[in-house]
Amino acid sequence: MPSHILIFFVIIPIIIAVFVYVFAGLKSARLIAVIAQSAFLVMALFMLIASRTNEITISVGGYEGFLGIILRADNLAAIFIFLTVFIFLGLVIYNLRSEYNHTDRLYWFLLFILEGTLIGLFLTRDFFNIFVLMEVSTVVVVILLMHDRKRRNLFAGMTFIMVNIVVMQFYLFGLGYLYMVTGVMDMEAAAYVIAHMDTTELALPYALIMTSIAAKCSLLPLLTWLPKVNALTGSRFTIAALMSGLHIKSGVYLFIRFQDVFGGMASEFFLCIGIITAIAGIILALSQKDIRLLLAYSTVAQVGLIIAGLSLNDEYSRIGSVYHVVNHGLIKVALFLGAGMISYLYKTKDITKIRGLLRVSKPVAIANILAVLGITGATFFGSSISKYFMISGVTGALEWVFIFINFGTILVFVRYSAIFFGRPKGAVLAPDWCRESVVLCLGISCFALGVQPAINFLLNQQVELSFWGYLEKNIVFVISVVAAYLVYKFILVKRDFLRPLRRFDLSFKTMCVSIGAFFGVLLVVLKVG
Amino acid sequence: MNLHIFDIFPIILFFISFFGLITTNNTMKSIVFIMLMQTAVIMFWVGVGARFGAQPPIIGDIAYLENPDAIADPLPQALMLTAIIIGIAVTAINITMLNALFRKYKTMNWQALQNLSSTEVEEDA
Repeated sequence: MPSHILIFFVIIPIIIAVFVYVFAGLKSARLIAVIAQSAFLVMALFMLIASRTNEITISVGGYEGFLGIILRADNLAAIFIFLTVFIFLGLVIYNLRSEYNHTDRLYWFLLFILEGTLIGLFLTRDFFNIFVLMEVSTVVVVILLMHDRKRRNLFAGMTFIMVNIVVMQFYLFGLGYLYMVTGVMDMEAAAYVIAHMDTTELALPYALIMTSIAAKCSLLPLLTWLPKVNALTGSRFTIAALMSGLHIKSGVYLFIRFQDVFGGMASEFFLCIGIITAIAGIILALSQKDIRLLLAYSTVAQVGLIIAGLSLNDEYSRIGSVYHVVNHGLIKVALFLGAGMISYLYKTKDITKIRGLLRVSKPVAIANILAVLGITGATFFGSSISKYFMISGVTGALEWVFIFINFGTILVFVRYSAIFFGRPKGAVLAPDWCRESVVLCLGISCFALGVQPAINFLLNQQVELSFWGYLEKNIVFVISVVAAYLVYKFILVKRDFLRPLRRFDLSFKTMCVSIGAFFGVLLVVLKVG
Repeated sequence: MNLHIFDIFPIILFFISFFGLITTNNTMKSIVFIMLMQTAVIMFWVGVGARFGAQPPIIGDIAYLENPDAIADPLPQALMLTAIIIGIAVTAINITMLNALFRKYKTMNWQALQNLSSTEVEEDA
C-alpha cells in the first residue's frame, strides 16, 4: 500500500464533510456521504491488512529522519482507525432517515470533521500535532453537544471546554519540558532518547502529560465529566455514543503510546488508579436512574479496567486490553444507540419506567441483549476473550480484584436487563427500521468479535486459548451472574441505599483541584519511587 | 538539566495561575487565569528555544550552521504561533459562552450559575 494513502485518511472525511455542507439542499447528499463512508471503510480494511506485515510510514514535507511530521500506521493505529470508520458509518446510517433541517447541515459537517481529527490523532507520531488535534476535537465535540440551540445546557458545555483547556495546558507544558530534555518531537525518537537517559529528569514532564491523558480517559478523580456531557439536555444519543464509544478511546490510545514512549513509568500507580476508577464507576452506575448516566458510568468503569490491564506489564494482558477497547467501543455504541431508540419509543430516560422492550422492538432488544452479554464477558463473545487475556496476566489477590470488577459490571447490567421484561406502561411509538438495523448490526458485531479468526485477524497474533483456563473463566462468569442476580433481587430492589450518590457531581473548581491533586500525587510517586 | 531564569519564571507563573483558577469564584477571572496559564506555557516554550548569546535563526552567516549552539532553536517559536492561535480561538469560544450565560442568568459566579443551570435541567427532565 503506498504511504501517501495515510494523508488521504485524514483528508477524505474532511472532503465528505465539505460535500455534505455545500450540497445540503440535495436530497441524495446524505446517501452519497454514506456510500463514500462505506468505501472509506473498505480502505481502512485494506490498511489494516497491509499494516499486519509492514508499518506504513510517511514524513509529511518529505524531511528525512525525525524532522518532519511523521504519520505511521502500525497494527495498533490501524485497529483504532478501522474501529473509528466502522462506528462513524454506523452513526451516519443511524441518522440517515432523521428529519433534515438546516441545523443538521452543521451537525453532519462536524461529525465528519471529528472523524478526520480522530484518525489524524491515531496516525500522527508528532507530539505537537497531537495537541492541535486534541484541541480541535474538543472544540468540535463541544459544538456538537451544544447543537440544539433551544435545549442546550450552556453551563455544562462551558465547564467541559474549560476543564479540557486546563488539562491541555498541562499537556503542552509537559511537552515543552520533554522537548527541552530530549530535543525531539517524534514519538519513536523520544522513546529512543528516553531509553538512553536518566529517568529522574522526566518526572515533571511525565506527570504533566499523564495528568492530561488521565483526564481525557476520565480516570479518578475526574470521572464525572464523561457522564456529565453524555447526559446533557439537548445533546443527541449519537454524540453520547461517540463520546463513550470512541472519543474516550483516543485518551486510552494516547495512554498506550505515551507509556511506550516513557518505558512504562508509574505502571503500579496507574494499575491502582484504574482499579479504583473501575470500582467507583460501577458504584456510581448502580446508583443511576437515567439510562445515559448508567451507561456513561459503566464506560468509566470499563476504561478503568482497560487502564489497569494495560498497566500490568504483561504481554497477554496488553493484548486483552487492546482487544477490549475494540469490543467495548462497539458494545457501547450499540447500547447508546439502542438507548436513544428506547428513549424515543418510551418518551423517558428513566430506566425504572422502561419495561417490556422485547414486546416493543425485537431487533433493538436483541441488539441490547447481545451488547449486554458482550460487556459482561459471556461465553463466545469478544469481551469474554479480552477479559480472559486481561486476567491471564494477574495472579493471587489481584485476580480476585479483576473478578470482583467483572461481578460489578454484571450487577450493573442485571439491573439494566429489567428493561427487556414485563409489559410497557402507556403508549409506545413505532420504531424506525433503519435505526433498528444499525443497532442490530452493531449488536451482532459484538458477538462476531468472539470468533477465533476475528481475534487473530485484528490482533495480528495467533492467540491460544487454554481450554481449561477458558472453562474456569466461564464457570466464574456463571457463578458471578447468579450472585449478581441474587444481590439485585434481594438487596438492590428492596433498598435503594445508593440513592445519595445519584446527585454526585464535581464543580469546575473541584475538577481543577482534582487535576492538581492527581498531578501532585503522581509527581510524588515518581520522585519517591 | 539546569533550569535558567527563562524556564523558572514561567513555571512559577503557571502554578500561580492554576492556584488562582482553583480559588476564584468568578467565571471571567477563571478565563483570565486560563489565559495566564497559556501565556506561561508559551513563555516556557520560547525560553526552551532561546540560549544566552545565541543569534536569531536567520540563515545569512554560514558560520552559524557549523555551530548549532550559536543560533536559537526556531522550532518552539514556530509551534507557539499555532498554540497562540488555538489559545485565542478557545478563549473566544469561552467568552462567547460566558456572554450567553450572563445574558440568561445575570451572574458570573460559578456556584450561582451551577445552581441556576441545574434547576433548569431538572425542570426540563
